[in-house]
Amino acid sequence: MSDPLSSIEAALDDEGLFFTRDDDEDAYRVAFKSEGDRYFVVSYRDDPNFLMIGSGWALPAEIEILDALDVANVLNVRKKFVKTALWEEERDVLFTVELCVNEPDEVRPNFGRLLDVLRDTAAEFFDELRDEEE
Amino acid sequence: MPLVRDLVAQFIQGEGHKVDVSPVDSEAGITEILFRTRGQVFSITTYENDPGSYMVSTAYEVPDWARERTQNADTLERVNEDFPDITFIMAHDGGLFVATAQEEPGSPEAFTRSFWETVSRVREAGASAIERIVDRTESKAAAEKFINSFMLGER
Repeated sequence: MSDPLSSIEAALDDEGLFFTRDDDEDAYRVAFKSEGDRYFVVSYRDDPNFLMIGSGWALPAEIEILDALDVANVLNVRKKFVKTALWEEERDVLFTVELCVNEPDEVRPNFGRLLDVLRDTAAEFFDELRDEEE
Repeated sequence: MPLVRDLVAQFIQGEGHKVDVSPVDSEAGITEILFRTRGQVFSITTYENDPGSYMVSTAYEVPDWARERTQNADTLERVNEDFPDITFIMAHDGGLFVATAQEEPGSPEAFTRSFWETVSRVREAGASAIERIVDRTESKAAAEKFINSFMLGER
């Protein structure tokens, strides 16, 4: 398989976004920002059919971890594509889309949709927790 | 003193987006900054003589089959009631409309602080307008309006 992230680069060009490459001996990686929020795309050299698009956020101190878990569970049931995961000790939350692709070009036409759903899931997660606090 | 257009363009680039900066009127210091987000091109107009004022616009193409419909202007007027701070203008013989927010935040810094909220508001208004234009049930509403006025003897 050729560079599995070449189509991601093309998709980011389509979206008018800057990006940086940060490959190493284990993985291919792309980092980019959209509307000020940071995202990454990663594919592993020993599993080039696997592709993960994600964004990571810190949980604000006032949010109870169990409340965050409840909201994550609800989103994991309801949302297409996106997995919401909590790192309890680090108090981080990660939103990822994980895909299996045969050809890198498969992702390009759907990239905007996947980015939208990642963005919407993160927004819903934090909106829901804010509502619970009020 | 940095130019307003440069401050705004640098902000958008810093947020991850490529920009296309083009002067509209060099003598008057009016510049248009174009960028894409969520598949939609937005235009920001900056005024060097008035660093407190900005225009945020985006255009929506009206599908061919919906262009000839007479009620599109009425639909935009109704959407404007829901989004009173957004102006809608039909262009290209009904082939597209432009949604615009005229912002008076007072300074480039204040503008950039609320930048994505403004973009989001314009997008929401524009999306609502196009949704209603392509919604064929609106033509039923137009028919009801006609029937009502007919029954009242106005037609």
